[in-house]
Amino acid sequence: MDRWARRWLRERKIPSTACVGCGLGQVHKKVLMAVEQLKLGVGDVVWGTGIGCAGRQTFNTWKGDNFAGTHGRVYAIATGLRTALPDDKKIILTVGDGDAFGIGLSHLLHCARRNLGVAVIVADNFGYQSTGGQYGFTTPLGCVTDSSPYGTREQGWLQNDIDILTLLKDAGATFLARHSSFEGQNAVDSVVKAIDNRGFSLVHFIYPCVTHFGAISLGSRDKEAVYRWFERLFQDGGDPRFRSGVYHDARGSRPEFAASLREWTERVSKENSTTTGKRFD
Amino acid sequence: MKRLFDTGNAAITEGAVMAGCRLFSGYPITPATEIAENMSRRMPQVGGYYIQAEDETASFHICIGGALGGLKAMTATSGPGYVLFSDPYGWAIGSEVPVVVVNSQRVGPVSGITGAPGQGEFYLSRYPTHGGNFETIVLAPAGVQEAFSMTVEAFYLAERFRTPVTLLADQIVTDGLESFDLPENEEELRAMGLRVIPGKAHAGPCFYPATSEIDIPPVRLGRNTGGACSDWTPTEEGYDTEEVEAQVKHAYRLTRKVLDHRDLIDRYEGTCLEDDPDVVLVSYGSPSRVMASAVKKARSLGLKVGGIRLKSLWPFQDRLFARRAVYLTVELNLDGQLVREVQRAAGGSAVHFIGRCGELPTAAELVEAVIGLSEGCFPAPKLWERWAW
Ligand code: SF4
Repeated sequence: MDRWARRWLRERKIPSTACVGCGLGQVHKKVLMAVEQLKLGVGDVVWGTGIGCAGRQTFNTWKGDNFAGTHGRVYAIATGLRTALPDDKKIILTVGDGDAFGIGLSHLLHCARRNLGVAVIVADNFGYQSTGGQYGFTTPLGCVTDSSPYGTREQGWLQNDIDILTLLKDAGATFLARHSSFEGQNAVDSVVKAIDNRGFSLVHFIYPCVTHFGAISLGSRDKEAVYRWFERLFQDGGDPRFRSGVYHDARGSRPEFAASLREWTERVSKENSTTTGKRFD
Repeated sequence: MKRLFDTGNAAITEGAVMAGCRLFSGYPITPATEIAENMSRRMPQVGGYYIQAEDETASFHICIGGALGGLKAMTATSGPGYVLFSDPYGWAIGSEVPVVVVNSQRVGPVSGITGAPGQGEFYLSRYPTHGGNFETIVLAPAGVQEAFSMTVEAFYLAERFRTPVTLLADQIVTDGLESFDLPENEEELRAMGLRVIPGKAHAGPCFYPATSEIDIPPVRLGRNTGGACSDWTPTEEGYDTEEVEAQVKHAYRLTRKVLDHRDLIDRYEGTCLEDDPDVVLVSYGSPSRVMASAVKKARSLGLKVGGIRLKSLWPFQDRLFARRAVYLTVELNLDGQLVREVQRAAGGSAVHFIGRCGELPTAAELVEAVIGLSEGCFPAPKLWERWAW
């Protein structure tokens, strides 16, 4: 393990248990690079994850404080945690596409609506891969997966005129970006902005899963072939939904949820202080 | 000491405030909505936070997040919301997070009648989540004063055992108006036999010792202690693991920490048990108040009858049913839940059941049943005869 990784990660969790050739490590690394660029210390960040490949491979890798929620619930846990922690403590959530855009979508939208101060990093592998390769909410139309043997036919969050990032923007998110996992500094810059934002940020990373999506939907487990397919998605002049970069930047435009709740609570408690509120401990 | 005339919901609110609750997250549902409304008024007054969640699952998870950050937290609901707590319950039990959960039971199944009482979550409160390998702590108030005191106690037990503690009330208790005493200083609180302990943070490094020890402060996040918690089977350092041995240790801890400290949890109230009565009525919550009247009336008729009111439901107090007698459980349901547990605990004793759906039985009905049982036959002239055990 190199010195750089040792600074941020628990030795016990290196190397990651992700499959050889998986793009998840690239996503994870970009988050760490952003943390470093922001000159944050281990103690400045609480790292939350969910379930699935993205959750399991990033839980407790971070040297500092960690938590992992059941599928889709990490946003609600983060809402309580954000309320309890001081403003300068960063909360980063690394989750999968099923977690964020499926089972946890309601919680996620409500975090955006409240402008909760968390940076959500969605590591999207186009389906449920840790359970063997079923289609998800961003799986391209027509893809053969374990649960769509004749090809997916359901409208997803990234097809036709629908883009999940537009939905999140309308819900009130204050920073949104999309990248592929194999991009460089421009992707790190987006994560820097996301973590730095005092409000709800989400960076949507699309990364190659060689084991399931590659093998079943693309017909190849060969890393190079799979990566080339993903690269083509993000090519200039291609599908506009797979444009790299910042999609929405309204940082600072709305008050952060927990900070404003704290301010308001302080005001109300001053104006309405009662003796019966006393706590005896 | 203040004397107030108010609802069980108000008493629960004041109990929580006094116990140090500073985060309430809930989702409106009759008959627990009033707790949320009261909390939305009271929390900011005392520097605490009220967050109306997008659903019940979120409300409990928000409480978990707050507790991980160091706030004492509570949520409240009724049956249809309680079943949605299944997911966060497991998380809080597994990661040993102290949260207080109030369930004002209404008649079911499903939405049932919003304004009628029920006792349908007796077993659900024992097994509120999947997977087994855990014990729960459940308290059951029978009136407004007790709604206050048990709320304070629920926070106390949650902190000491670092686990969610459930207050299993019913609509009559939470909506009912009664006068109750509200302590105004620590001495008065102590005089009521109540204690409040501060929430503490665990500094690590061991998170899940495979012992039954209590008073180990829970994991807190955001203090740079390397704290870690998740829904996966944890190692002692908080790592997720697939090792069965770690799961065995975890299960040992989650069950034994509760079972080895029953003296702190077990609570009941016995009426007229001194002369080894022939018939013993058993209940909890609102029906126990009818039961008390019935025992008194039956005694005045010369019948050797007694009553056991369970104030803590889980872990179940088996030892109370060691005495040979004819037992009769009185419940706000028709399927008989408490009766099954009493039957298991009572061994060879006969156990009968009177259930009512959505309303209380009358004392006269209970007396009639006691007369029958004393004479060796369970009369069961009404609907419940089909459920005679
Ligand atoms: S299954 Fe796919 S996404 Fe999961 S670790 Fe393996 S390659 Fe990565």
